[in-house]
Amino acid sequence: MSRRARSRTSFLPRDLHPAAWWVWALGMATAASRTTNPWLLGVVIAVVCYVVVARRSDSPWARSFRLYLYLGLIIVGMRCLFRVVFGGGEGSTILLHLPQIPLPAWAAGIRLLGDVSAESVLGGFYDGLRLATMVICLGAANALANPKRLLRSMPSALYEVGTAVIVALSVFPQLAESVQRVHRARRLRGHVATGRRALRSVIIPVLEDALDRSLQLASSMDSRGYGRAGTASPRSRATTGTFMVLGLVGVCVGIYGTLDGTTPRILAGPMLLVGVLLALCGFVLAGRRVERSRYRPDRWHLPEILTATTGVAVAAMVGGVTGDTTALDPSLTDLSLPLLAWGPLLAVLVGILPAWLTPPPASPFVGLEDEPEPSGGAPESSGIPESSGTASGDPIGARR
Amino acid sequence: MIRLEDVSIWYHEQALPTLEHVDLTIGEGELVLLVGRTGAGKSTLLGTLNGLVPHFTGGHLQGRVTVAGVSTASRPPREFAHLVGMVGQDPLAGFVTDTVEEELAYGMEQLGVRPDVMRRRVEETLDLLGMSELRRRALRTLSGGQQQRVAIGSVLTMHPPVLVLDEPTSALDPTAAEEVLATLARLVQDLGTTVVVAEHRMERVIPFADLVISVDDGGRVRAGDPATMLRDTPIAPPIVELGRAVGWDPLPLSVRDARRVAGPLRERLATRVPGPVTGDPMSPPTTPASPVAALTAEGVVVRYGPKVAVRGVDLVLRPGHVLAMMGRNGSGKSSLLWALQGSGPRQGGRVTVQGQDPKALSSKAARALVGLVPQTASDLLYLETVAAECESGDAESGAAPGSCRDLLDSLAPDIDSGQHPRDLSEGQRLALVLAVQLTAAPAVLLLDEPTRGLDYTAKRVFGRVLRRLADEGRAVVVATHDVEFVAGVADEALVMAEGEIVSQGSTRDVLGGSPAFAPQVAKILGEQWLTVTQVTAVLEADRQEVVS
Amino acid sequence: MSAPTSAGDTPTRRSPSWGRGDQAVRVGRRSALVLGLASVAGLLLFCWPLFVRVAPSSLQHGVDAPFVFLAILPVLIVVVLAELSEGGMDSKALAMLGVLSAINAALRPLGAGTAGIETVFFVLVLAGRVFGAGFGFVLGCTSLFASALLTAGVGPWLPFQMMASAWIGMGAGLLPRRVTGKAEIAMLVGYGIVVAYLFGFLMNLWFWPFVTGMDVPYHQGSLSYVAGAPLLENLQRFAVFTLLTSTAGWDTGRAITNTVAILLVGPAILATLRRASRRASYGVVGTHGPALDRASDAT
Repeated sequence: MSRRARSRTSFLPRDLHPAAWWVWALGMATAASRTTNPWLLGVVIAVVCYVVVARRSDSPWARSFRLYLYLGLIIVGMRCLFRVVFGGGEGSTILLHLPQIPLPAWAAGIRLLGDVSAESVLGGFYDGLRLATMVICLGAANALANPKRLLRSMPSALYEVGTAVIVALSVFPQLAESVQRVHRARRLRGHVATGRRALRSVIIPVLEDALDRSLQLASSMDSRGYGRAGTASPRSRATTGTFMVLGLVGVCVGIYGTLDGTTPRILAGPMLLVGVLLALCGFVLAGRRVERSRYRPDRWHLPEILTATTGVAVAAMVGGVTGDTTALDPSLTDLSLPLLAWGPLLAVLVGILPAWLTPPPASPFVGLEDEPEPSGGAPESSGIPESSGTASGDPIGARR
Repeated sequence: MIRLEDVSIWYHEQALPTLEHVDLTIGEGELVLLVGRTGAGKSTLLGTLNGLVPHFTGGHLQGRVTVAGVSTASRPPREFAHLVGMVGQDPLAGFVTDTVEEELAYGMEQLGVRPDVMRRRVEETLDLLGMSELRRRALRTLSGGQQQRVAIGSVLTMHPPVLVLDEPTSALDPTAAEEVLATLARLVQDLGTTVVVAEHRMERVIPFADLVISVDDGGRVRAGDPATMLRDTPIAPPIVELGRAVGWDPLPLSVRDARRVAGPLRERLATRVPGPVTGDPMSPPTTPASPVAALTAEGVVVRYGPKVAVRGVDLVLRPGHVLAMMGRNGSGKSSLLWALQGSGPRQGGRVTVQGQDPKALSSKAARALVGLVPQTASDLLYLETVAAECESGDAESGAAPGSCRDLLDSLAPDIDSGQHPRDLSEGQRLALVLAVQLTAAPAVLLLDEPTRGLDYTAKRVFGRVLRRLADEGRAVVVATHDVEFVAGVADEALVMAEGEIVSQGSTRDVLGGSPAFAPQVAKILGEQWLTVTQVTAVLEADRQEVVS
Repeated sequence: MSAPTSAGDTPTRRSPSWGRGDQAVRVGRRSALVLGLASVAGLLLFCWPLFVRVAPSSLQHGVDAPFVFLAILPVLIVVVLAELSEGGMDSKALAMLGVLSAINAALRPLGAGTAGIETVFFVLVLAGRVFGAGFGFVLGCTSLFASALLTAGVGPWLPFQMMASAWIGMGAGLLPRRVTGKAEIAMLVGYGIVVAYLFGFLMNLWFWPFVTGMDVPYHQGSLSYVAGAPLLENLQRFAVFTLLTSTAGWDTGRAITNTVAILLVGPAILATLRRASRRASYGVVGTHGPALDRASDAT
C-alpha cells in the first residue's frame, strides 16, 4: 500500500488511538489550568463539547460525558458556597450581610458566615470554573477514548497487571449475571428475611463461582502460553532493579526539594526529572523481558498525530502568553467585565480541529451488542459457513 | 507423538496414586477417545499431556511423559502451548478476553507470533470453524456450542500438533454438542491433528476413533482398538449396551452398523409387547394416574418485556408421574418451571396446587407446595459443610432435626458431613440440593436440567431416585435435553417450542416416532422400544420360557 | 518462577513442597525496597500541602508543584507494579487478581448513590489478609483501575485513589498473622475503621487546595490552603475542612460500611478465600521422579 493510500484509509471510520485523545484532552486541560478568564474557559468547554459530540461513539463510556458536565456544575457551585460560608469578607463590594457565627477557640482563624463580598464570590467562581473546565476536558477523554483499546496499548512492563485488568473487565458482566441468578434462587429455599444470612446466601455462592472460575481461567492461561516470554537474565534484572531504586531515591529527594523552598534548587526540579527518567528507564528495561506480540496493534497514523499535536499546541500557545497576563487572569480588585484577547482565544480555538481531522468513530463498540452485526454477510448466508466466510471475509481483508 | 512411560501420579495428601503405571503410545494423527467414570482420573491423565499435572496442580509424577520428544518434566506447561492445545469443560471460564477475535489471537500473542501471521491465522481459523460472522461478538453472548468452538479455535491458532479436549460437551445441550463434535470430526479428517478427547457422548466420536483408552477405578489404564475396548468399559452408550446384551460380534458402534445387524432381533421382537419404560420391568405397568391433579396450570403466560417466553400453557401434573419437558434452549422450559413454582414472573393464567396459588403465598409456603431445583443447583448452597447445609435445610422447612440428612442418605449414601459442598461431585451436589428441597415435603417437584454434567452411571442412579420419588406419590417434572434419560425415567413427555407445547403424551408416543428425539434403541429396533432394559427383559423372559 | 526441578532434591513421594496462601504475589527484598521508596514518595505527594515551605524567590514553584505531582504519582505506581510483577506473576494469582478486581469494581457502584456507603474496601481488606501484602497492593491498584475504566472515571484523581487503596490492601496483608478466630475479625474491623478515615483524610489532603482554591490573589478564605504557611496552621485549616466536608459524612459512612460488612460476612468470605487459596496452592511446585524400576513394556 502506498503512503498516499494509507493516509487515505486512515480516515475511514475507525476508533482513533485512545492515547491521541488523551494527549489532546490533557493539552486542553493544561491550557485551562493557565487561565481564570471565564470567557476563555467557556470557549474551552464549548470546543471540547463540540469535539465530543462530533466524534464520540454510541458506547456506554461515551454517555458518561454528561456526568462530567454535571460534576463541573457541582464544583463551581461548591466553590462559591464555600466562599459564602467560610468567610468571603475580603473586598469592598459587600453583597450580603450575614450574621457571623462565633466559633470556639480551637477553631481560631476560621470564620463562619459574616459579610460576603462580590470579589470573594467572583474569585471562587473563576477558580471553580477553571477546575470544572479541567474536569470536563478529562471527561471528554473518557468519552472519546475506548478504554479497552487503552488497555491493549499498555506498556509491556505492565503486561501481567494489564492482563489482570483485562480479565476483570471480561469477568465483570458475568458477575452481574451470577448475582441475579443466585438472588433468584434464594427464594427457592424460602429466604425472604434480610440480614446476616441473606447477605451471606448471595455473596458466598457468587464468590465461590468467581473463584472456581479463576482457577479454571488460570489453567487455561497456563496451557495457552501465558507468561511464556518470561524471565530475564540475572544481570539484566540487576540493572533494572538498580535503575528503579536509584530513580525512586531521586524522586523522593526531588519531591522534598520541591516542597521545601529553602533547599538548593538543584535538588528540586532537576533532581525530580532525573529521578523520574531513571525510574522510567528501569520500567522500560523491565518490559524488555516480555516478548509477546500484539494482534492488530493500534498504530499512530496521520489523524492521531494531528490530534495530539493540536492538544500540545493549544497548551503551549496558551501557556506561552507572556507579558500582560490580565487577559488570562482577570483582576479581582476592580470589578469589571473581563476582557478577551485575540491571542489566547485563537489558541484555544485550534483545539476544535480534531472534530474534522479525525476519522468518524466505527460502529458502536462491537463487543457489546447482542445481535450480530448487520453489515458484512447477509443473514441468510450464515447458514452456509463456507460461502459466507469467503464472501464477507475477503473484502474486509482487502480493505484494511 | 505422545508417550507415557510407566507414569504414576500422587496428589498432595493422598496415599493412593490417582493413576498407576500408565504406559501409552499415541501416534501422529490419531483420534484417541478416553472413557471412564467421573472422578476416575481422566482429567489427570489429560493434564499430564502438557504438564499441567503436576506443574499447575501440584502433586508428584513418577515416570516420563514426552510430547513430540519433549519431556514435560523439563518445562512448564506454557512452553507446551505450541505443542498441545487444551480445551476444558466450561469454555466461558477459560476465556481471557471478551471478543471472539481477541480470544483467537490471545495464544498467538503469548507466543510472540508476528502480527501479519496472526491476522492471517485468525481469518483462517474463523473460516475453518465457520464463525466469520461472529468475529466481533462478545463471547458471553454466544451460545454454548459457539463458545466451545471458539475455545477450540483459540488453541488451533497456535497450530498445535496435538489437541486435548476434556469433556468438551458435558455442559452443552445436544444440539450444541453435535455442533462441537462435528467440528472435531472435521478437524481430524481435514487437518490430521492428533486429538485426545474425553467424551461421554462417545457414539459421535467412536466412528473416527483409532484408539480407546479406558481409565478404570483404581487408576489402572487400558488401551486398545474401539470395538475390543468397548466390550467391557464401565461406561457405555446404549448402542454398545444393547450390543453387549444381545451378544453382537463385532460390536456395532454406530446406529447405522447396529441397524445392519439388528434384522433378526427386530423380527424376533416384532410380535412382542415392550414392558413399561420405567421402573422394574417385571412389575405391572404403572398405576393409572390418580384422578386428583397435584398441580393444575391454565393459560400460563410469562413475558420479559416484549419477549414472550411462555405463551398460554395448560398443564396438569398427576401424583406418581414423572413428566419430561423437552425442547431447545430458549423454548420456555425454565420460565414455565419458575412460573409453576411461583418464584418466577407470571403475567397471566392460573396455577393451583392443593387449592392454592403458589405465587400468592410467601416463598416459604410456596416451597412446601412446589419444590424447584434450578439449573445451577449450587446457587442454593452457601454454607461451609454438608452438615451445616442440612441443618439449615431443616430449619428453613421447620422439619425435625436430621430429616434433611436422612433424605440425603437415602438419595446418595456415604456423603461425609464435614465436606465442603463445593467439593462434592456433580451428582452428590445435586442430591444435596434435592434433599434440601425435599425437606419441605413438597407434593410437586420440578427439576431444571438436572442431568447436565452427569455421566451415564450417575444418570442411571439419578433416574432411579426420581422414579422412587414419584412412586412415593409426588408429581415430578424434569426439564432436560437428554433423550436417553427421558426414555428411561419418564411416564409422559412434552415438547415445547416458542413458549408453546407442541406435542404431549406418553413417553413412547412423543419420543419413539420423532427423528429428533428418538433414543438410540428406538432408532435401531423401531419406535416402541426405548431402552435396553425393555429389550433385555423380553429376552430374559424368553430364555426362562425355554428353560421351563 | 520456573520449577526448580534439579535432580539433586529427590522429593519424598507424598510430601511435595506446598505453597502458602499469603504469598500469592511474592515480594522479594528488592521489591520491598522499591515498594518502600515509592510509598515514601507517594506519601509526600499526598501530604504536599502540609509540607510546602516556600522560599520567597520561588513562590511560583510552590504553585506549580501540584501539577507536577499529578504527573509523578502515575510513574511511581507503574514502577512499583512493574517491579512486583517483574519476576513474572503466577497465572493463578493473576486470575485471582482479575476476578477479585471485578468483584471490587462491581461492589463499588453499589454504594455510589447512597451517601457514605462505600463497599470497595472490605473485600480488599479481606483479600489482602488472605493473599498477602504484595497481592493486596496490586489488588488495590487493579480494582480501582478496572472500576475507573468501567465507569469512565479516569483522571488525575485515579492514581491517588489507586495508591491509597493499594496501601490499604498491603496493610491488611501486613497485619499480624497469628491472630485467628474472633480476634482476627475484631482486628480486621478495627483496621477497616482506621483505614476508612485514613483514606478520606488522604484523599482530602491532596485535593484540598484544588477544592478551596489556592492561588487566586485577593482572597484569604479561612479554610483555604495557604502555600508556605507553617505546618500547624495549614493542618488546622485542613482539619476543619476535612471535618466539615467529609469526616462526619463520607468517612463515617465508609467506616460503618466496613464494620458491618466485615462483621456480617467477613468470616464466611475469609473461609471462602482461604479455601480458594488452598486449592490454588500458590507457589506450589509439582515434582517429578524417575520411573519406578519396572520394565516399561507392558500395555
